[in-house]
Amino acid sequence: MSSKNYIALFLFVLLGFAGVWRLQERIDVQQSEVAREDDQLMLRSSKLVKGLSLEYAPLVADIYWTRVVQYFGNKQAENQVDLRLLWPLLDVTSVLDPQLMPVYHFGSTFLSDASPRGAGRPDLAVELLERGLRANPDEWRLYYDLGFVYYFDMKDYAKASAALYEGSKNPKAFIWMKAMAAKIATEGNSTETSNFLWQDVYNTTKDPLVKQNALRHLQLLRAEDDRKQIDVLADEYQKRFGRRPVRMSELVQSGLLRREPVDALGYPYILSEAGRAELNLKTPLRDKWIKAPGSK
Amino acid sequence: MTRIGTVALNTFREAVRDRVLYNLVFFALVMMAAAILVGQISIGIEQIVIVSLGLSAISIIGLLISVFIGVGLVSKEIDKRTLYALLAKPLRRWEFILGKFAGLVLTLTVNTAAMAAGLFLALFYVKRSLEQADTVVLIAVYFILLKLALVVALAMLFSCFTTPLLAILFTAGLYIAGLFVHEMRGLQGGLIDPMLGRLLRWISYLLPNFENFDVMGAAAHGRVIPGALIAQNTAYAVVYCAIVLAVAMAIFSQRNLK
Repeated sequence: MSSKNYIALFLFVLLGFAGVWRLQERIDVQQSEVAREDDQLMLRSSKLVKGLSLEYAPLVADIYWTRVVQYFGNKQAENQVDLRLLWPLLDVTSVLDPQLMPVYHFGSTFLSDASPRGAGRPDLAVELLERGLRANPDEWRLYYDLGFVYYFDMKDYAKASAALYEGSKNPKAFIWMKAMAAKIATEGNSTETSNFLWQDVYNTTKDPLVKQNALRHLQLLRAEDDRKQIDVLADEYQKRFGRRPVRMSELVQSGLLRREPVDALGYPYILSEAGRAELNLKTPLRDKWIKAPGSK
Repeated sequence: MTRIGTVALNTFREAVRDRVLYNLVFFALVMMAAAILVGQISIGIEQIVIVSLGLSAISIIGLLISVFIGVGLVSKEIDKRTLYALLAKPLRRWEFILGKFAGLVLTLTVNTAAMAAGLFLALFYVKRSLEQADTVVLIAVYFILLKLALVVALAMLFSCFTTPLLAILFTAGLYIAGLFVHEMRGLQGGLIDPMLGRLLRWISYLLPNFENFDVMGAAAHGRVIPGALIAQNTAYAVVYCAIVLAVAMAIFSQRNLK
């Protein structure tokens, strides 16, 4: 082949791929109209999928787990709250490979987190973790995750304490789990306990997304604590002046505050018409705010 | 053109002689068993199961033929030394490649058309009627055929410069990679390094995207497929096949056949 022919072939391939690229972009638009989310999971019977996977079930589980992460990640990125395929996907994945620990650890978080952060189904998170514990009774971390879900999402402190205590029996478990079990059994919910648990997640996780999530919870817990303290000062202001403050500057001018307090992201708190402390309307923390910020 | 047609026709005849179309018996048995059984063991999803099963069978059988026969199209002629007799005639190497490709695509078209007829018969048996909405199944079958043509082109490309076994592995690998193109593009959501994300995006556009031809879900549920998608997928398959075959022809033209 002459050099002319080589150049012609090169140009043909180059132009061809440019055409393929353009076509692909148009096909993507059309495909998005044809495809439905449910097509991702045409087979919902975990036993059937396992049977069809033959001896390659662990490999298929890995692929399914990747799909779970992509599904959840894309929903988060697009701020969509409809996560109805999350449980069937996790169900199939955990049946295909019962020893795949990330499915239980992260899957329970995805399921139990309240909307819009998660699916808001702590009951299914518990079911997933209990399934994991049946298959992996020596995995003390699953007890830790179970205690987490009971404590933050279900507010069932007795069960949270029991789960942490059960996990603490494993010699490899965190040394503080037994003490935490006792503390929760005695006190139930407390900001101190919540802070400790989220701080532990923040310190121990290697996953940047989980770390970010833990940080956000810690920031929300701090905001909750700040709000309570500002409300106490507003009560004091009311005692002194006979009315509730409506601006934060009034608390500063009265000498109750040295300066206007700000949240963890640097946005100043505001006071509502009823004189109660609230997050600033512009703070990104507000999007993540759920009535009980201690919740997971 | 006549020479390409002659090679194509002979390739088709050879496939028939090699009993390639015997797979239709297997397909007919699967569809008959499914049509009879599905009504008795399920409620409300008879049509979905028949369409899904039928399209899957058409796709799998077609893929097996495309890969294994596609790879053998060139290598078998070299092994049996029949290629020398052919090339001694007024037939250029690129005409040989195009003719072989056309011949196998013709075989696959006949095979797929026969299987589609079987699928519609089974559908008719289950539903006792056929509706206009069922044309979506026909479109799905057409998309499978486009996919198979692309697989044949890839199999021929690899068989032009490597051993049959490696060509099969390369084709199968590229096919599997082409099924995960969407996932590859979806990985960019802040989960991975941005540089890697950009690289994967580039690769995702260069790889043959076999997901384009997957409308099984839509066909099973009777959803409409836009005409624009049919035109775009056809254009995609034609352009991609042209690129792959051009490279295959260039490689085969340079190959030392001594």
